[in-house]
Amino acid sequence: MREAFIGKDDLATLIGRWAKDHRVFVPVTFDIMNREETPDYELVRDGVPEKLKLHGAALAHTPKSFLFYAREVVAKYPGAKAEAAVEAPPTVLVGPRACDLSATRKYDKVYWSTKHFTEEYDDPFYIEKRERTLIVSLDCTAPKETCFCTRVGGKPHPEDGFDLNLSPVEGGFIVTVGSPRGDALLSGADSLLTAVSSEHRDERERSRRSVTEAVDRQNAKFEMDGPPDKYDLEASQEAWAYVTQNCVGCGACNRACPSCTCFLLVDQPAGAAYERTRIWDTCLSIGYARTGGGGNSRPALPQRLENRLRCKFEYSRDRYGLVTCTGCGRCIDACMGRIDMREAIRHVLTEKAKA
Amino acid sequence: MKNLYRPIDSVIEDIKKETSTITTYRFRPKEPLTFEAGQFVELTVPGVGEAPFTPSSNPNVKDTLEITIMRVGTVTAALEHMKVGDVVGLRGPYGKGYSFKDFAGKEILIVGGGVGLAPLRSLILALFDEIDKYKKISIRYGARTPGDIVYRDLLPQWAKMRNTEVLLTIDAPHPDWTGTVGVITVLLEDLPFDMKSAVAFVCGPPIMLKFVNMKLLEKGMDPNHILHSMERNMSCGLGKCGHCMMGEYYICKDGPVLTAAQIAKFEDPF
Repeated sequence: MREAFIGKDDLATLIGRWAKDHRVFVPVTFDIMNREETPDYELVRDGVPEKLKLHGAALAHTPKSFLFYAREVVAKYPGAKAEAAVEAPPTVLVGPRACDLSATRKYDKVYWSTKHFTEEYDDPFYIEKRERTLIVSLDCTAPKETCFCTRVGGKPHPEDGFDLNLSPVEGGFIVTVGSPRGDALLSGADSLLTAVSSEHRDERERSRRSVTEAVDRQNAKFEMDGPPDKYDLEASQEAWAYVTQNCVGCGACNRACPSCTCFLLVDQPAGAAYERTRIWDTCLSIGYARTGGGGNSRPALPQRLENRLRCKFEYSRDRYGLVTCTGCGRCIDACMGRIDMREAIRHVLTEKAKA
Repeated sequence: MKNLYRPIDSVIEDIKKETSTITTYRFRPKEPLTFEAGQFVELTVPGVGEAPFTPSSNPNVKDTLEITIMRVGTVTAALEHMKVGDVVGLRGPYGKGYSFKDFAGKEILIVGGGVGLAPLRSLILALFDEIDKYKKISIRYGARTPGDIVYRDLLPQWAKMRNTEVLLTIDAPHPDWTGTVGVITVLLEDLPFDMKSAVAFVCGPPIMLKFVNMKLLEKGMDPNHILHSMERNMSCGLGKCGHCMMGEYYICKDGPVLTAAQIAKFEDPF
């Protein structure tokens, strides 16, 4: 893969150029109550924001917020047109981490099925956005304490699935080109790019190794040592009830998760006609599996949390050939009941071993 | 690109009351919508929402389709307020149907409960179109009370078809009923079939599926030959929204018809 070095200020210049004909979202820090919070995306309007943050760990939002909107009108009827009306402005997303790219693979399989999976239904709303969104990913340079990507088969730095990747090094970044579209983002930028020195390469390797070790170290106590695609979390309802004690079924974990793909369709009047809106859904809500006449295959909350975690490890593996927990830790960060999914998995496996 | 979520405008052409809570509607979609017996469609009541239903009409009839619907929730209740000539939405068909053509030459057992006879009616009519290909068609149907029996006028006609029998039961004794009494499994005690090769198509409430499944397996039926219409919340029908997930299965794509063999690994699949 083609690589080049770009200085910090030159990168800002380059991002500014992209913003002329794209919507460009970049990571910035939001200072709330004088505390540096998790970085999140900001749209580049007049110049690159000063609080640009291209180091650290993953952002609050995940690529799904840009590729599969939390809320989107998908049909208007009666008289609905056969062709989907999709708005997908050209977009550059600067900031996804390896965990995000890994989750996007599931999105591709579910919503761009003919290309990435074996099923026939392609979702026009996803595909249009996906095609018009360029991904400039970043190496993680410091894990959050909830990060565990290396325990689920991931790495803290991207290896594929990006258009460009940025690895922070002294004075700037190593830019790696991952696709022809990424290459096109660098066209006309030769004056900003220089050859990558061996010092920079060494520095990148050192940083990657140290982040990998840090993630491994902070997760040693969770004993998630087995191959992630071999998990069997079928355990007693007592074991699942124990880990669900503090769950209120709010679904924050689903919304924060980069690989949760489920949605709900809601119809409502719109003027003289009607519209159908698609919104992100949560498998933890009691109505999720409810059928006509009041039937429910998962009436109890422990059954639903079990379903969520087994979906990530077992069901996605069996259906899509992917473990879709990416270890990003966002579900742990988001949980108001402070449920740590790593502890949940350890508990379930321990109880299962005892039984 | 084609919009998967778009309902096709469909005119209500006929409404027939089956019981106090069950009604059969005939729809004429404004664009072609054909299906195989056992597949389902999503029915939109404008502004209220969608729900999945398996058509109850003959799949060989192409311009219209009928759906027999029981009032159980918001969509079905809103549908009851609609009239002949009103427009609803339909999309589909979705999922795998009854694959009955694989079973030519076999004895066919059809087990229905309550409104569960609706999808089976579609199958029965398709089977009747090629009745010479099947050794025997035995229809066994249970309803709660005599007043809950659907297709009251059709059942005697079906019983007159060649190599076809229709057996009925109601759950509890009733002054208007002189026939068999007891839940559906009472009709499954006596099964004069070659149990190794016979095929069963089962549809009804989940509790019925559970006991019928147990009974048919106990009677020695091949688990690959017991076909259940699974009840799940098929919301998008496209294998995407997740609501109908059952382990790695999406009932909307891998079902709604699943065999007893496919569901054997689940502790409580119904």
